[in-house]
Amino acid sequence: MATPAVRMFRRLEGLFCVYKPSGVHWKLVRDSIETNLLKVLNATPSQPLPQEVRFLAQPSTETEAPKGLTLSATSVPVLSKHPLVSGPEFQNIQVGVGHRLDAFSSGVLVLGVGNGNKTLNDLYRTRVTRDYTLEGEFGTATDDFTHTGGVVERSTYEHITQDKLERVLAMLEGANQKALLMYSNVDMRSQEAYEMAVQGLLGPEGKSAPILTGLRCIHFQPPNFILEVQCLNETQKYLRKVVHEIGLELRSTAVCKGIRRTRDGLFTLQDALTRHHWTAADITQAIRQYHSSKKHRKHSLSWDNLNYILLSTDSALIQSS
Amino acid sequence: MAFPFVRLCPRHVSTGLQVCSYATLSKASRPQEKSSAGPVFQYVGQNKKPTPKVFVWGFSFTGALGIPSFVVPDSGRKKPRKYQLTPYRLETAEQISSAACGYGFSLIASSTKDASKLWGMGLNKDSQLGFQRTQHSRHQSYDYVLEPSPVALPLVNPLQTRVLQVACGRAHSLVLTDREGVFSMGNNSYGQCGRRIVEDEVYSGSHIIHNIEGFAGRVVQVACGQDHSLFLTETGKVLACGWGADGQTGLGHHNISSSPVEVGGDLSGVEVQQISTYGDCSLAVSRDGQLFGWGNSEYRQLASVTEATQINSPRHLPLKGCGKVVQAACGGTQVAVLNDKGEVFVWGYGILGKGPNLSESSTPEVIPSTLFGRSQFNPSVAVTRIRCGLSHFAAVTDRGELFVWGKNVRGCLGIGKRDDQYFPWRVTVPGQVVDVACGVDHMVAMAKSLL
Repeated sequence: MATPAVRMFRRLEGLFCVYKPSGVHWKLVRDSIETNLLKVLNATPSQPLPQEVRFLAQPSTETEAPKGLTLSATSVPVLSKHPLVSGPEFQNIQVGVGHRLDAFSSGVLVLGVGNGNKTLNDLYRTRVTRDYTLEGEFGTATDDFTHTGGVVERSTYEHITQDKLERVLAMLEGANQKALLMYSNVDMRSQEAYEMAVQGLLGPEGKSAPILTGLRCIHFQPPNFILEVQCLNETQKYLRKVVHEIGLELRSTAVCKGIRRTRDGLFTLQDALTRHHWTAADITQAIRQYHSSKKHRKHSLSWDNLNYILLSTDSALIQSS
Repeated sequence: MAFPFVRLCPRHVSTGLQVCSYATLSKASRPQEKSSAGPVFQYVGQNKKPTPKVFVWGFSFTGALGIPSFVVPDSGRKKPRKYQLTPYRLETAEQISSAACGYGFSLIASSTKDASKLWGMGLNKDSQLGFQRTQHSRHQSYDYVLEPSPVALPLVNPLQTRVLQVACGRAHSLVLTDREGVFSMGNNSYGQCGRRIVEDEVYSGSHIIHNIEGFAGRVVQVACGQDHSLFLTETGKVLACGWGADGQTGLGHHNISSSPVEVGGDLSGVEVQQISTYGDCSLAVSRDGQLFGWGNSEYRQLASVTEATQINSPRHLPLKGCGKVVQAACGGTQVAVLNDKGEVFVWGYGILGKGPNLSESSTPEVIPSTLFGRSQFNPSVAVTRIRCGLSHFAAVTDRGELFVWGKNVRGCLGIGKRDDQYFPWRVTVPGQVVDVACGVDHMVAMAKSLL
């Protein structure tokens, strides 16, 4: 029989995303969310204790007649099911994390609860792209590619113009587009390869080197600049390295001041829960929203088409669906 | 509710930066100084201009790549490199503004006023690179030129004239200058050099570089077919000479013409802005975006107007859905045009660029722009130049990327493998490509560095 706690847990099963602040390890985020959920789940009013009929020996008020125990049926509560004996109903819940974010970065972090973890596996397996905003600064090169690292070299950057930056980004994008084709396992001599290349579906299956499927500069004010990237199979350290390499290509140096993931698959910053909303009520609402949007999507297209949406024209198609 | 944050130890700058600048700095806490002492390196100044570069790739044993160590290794350990499958930098003395690839040889020219402005490399059995004096005897000429060697043009004012354009055919070449007209060299058995045909002339070791006469106005573009030549004057008139058995001269007959004669047909009265040929078919683009063709049509290149296998007089080709044609490029069996929106249309026979299933077409087929790098992040990428080799295509986009497709004859595509390429594929060139010249089995690309 489902207790109110279990009913509440069923409502909590699914995927949702949170905004991970920078400076925090992702595991702490996951642990704190699990703690919050557990607190609320175990705070639900417990069921009244079931009663059972036991034949207890009545204490004889009269002192005479010691033989002949009189047993009377009494309904007593089952003490073994008392929460103080058996412990809280939920000791731990399965909260899984999607694509990880390291401590320096911030942004969308997808989490799954209960049955949602199975969907997390599917998310890992489908070729889902992620959007990041990278903030960079020219003039320094550090050992871990961030502005907090040990400075290795400093160089001038007055010669850098937006036009030169665009040229370097175009070159990088060309190289990455080529990598996309090279890592796909399709035979290039087949008609199928041509069809997929036209639609932009050629790409690596499963593990591969990190590939940036889109790269552009959205803000340029020397020495600072902001890039928007769309990538596959990446790590945040690789993205910082990309910023460093852009500095090298421009015959100068650059460090990354911040990485922010703005989209992971179909979860955007819009849906991400900030720290003050890491409560069970907000999470339940986020999961409800996820389920309803999934149903709506399932009506318009199948799960295979989702692959196509996620790899190629991501936001346009999502907005239209 | 407070949960513990991982405290990031701020990394600090070492004050002893002048001593060593590698990551041997210990990560202990030190106060970070923004304006710390330490050298600031300047790699490039504000006025740095992009460096021009030339890249070559393809079949190297003819010497057409201009790298002698591929044919004759300069060290005992090296082996001869027959196919150069990826772009290789060719060091040149001057900035190269024009290049052309013929059948086993190349010509590169610089638009400078200096004495040496034209270099040739590759096959020289018909003196298509002029007379290349051997080291041992001044009466003999090299049959294979392995390095870019200067071609001595008989200019009246060698220090005033600039070379505007070069073109190469099967065994002849044309050089266009700004003040002294067109010079031709090489095989003249069909009159393709624009001079009188001499019976049993020996072309190997010949010193003849002929300044072609007979042009009414100034010539602005030259094009070489397999054994014929086309000239475009500034008034928009096209002249042709050379072999005409396929009607590629467009003069209304199938005979040889040994001096340039104006072509008529549908081109009379039309102002042409570009001509193109490489095999036995010729194309012209008029100023208002119309396409005219003549010559060989065995591969359905001119099938929109005729079912015959040759046309010997220019005909206007009505192209449906192509819009205003800006450039045309003609190969051996295939044709490509570029319209003002940057879209590429192909037809003919061979590997056309739409997968292995499309091997021939007599109507223009557009190549989807997504194959040239157009995507949601870059919705406005357009092709700016289109070139044809004998059985492959090359396209340069406005972002400086080079795409090639077609038959990979001895590695001429430069994609790193010897397989044929059925749809446009990027060539990794270290720099932005400005122009490219396609030959039978090699290519030359002119690029400039990113910065």
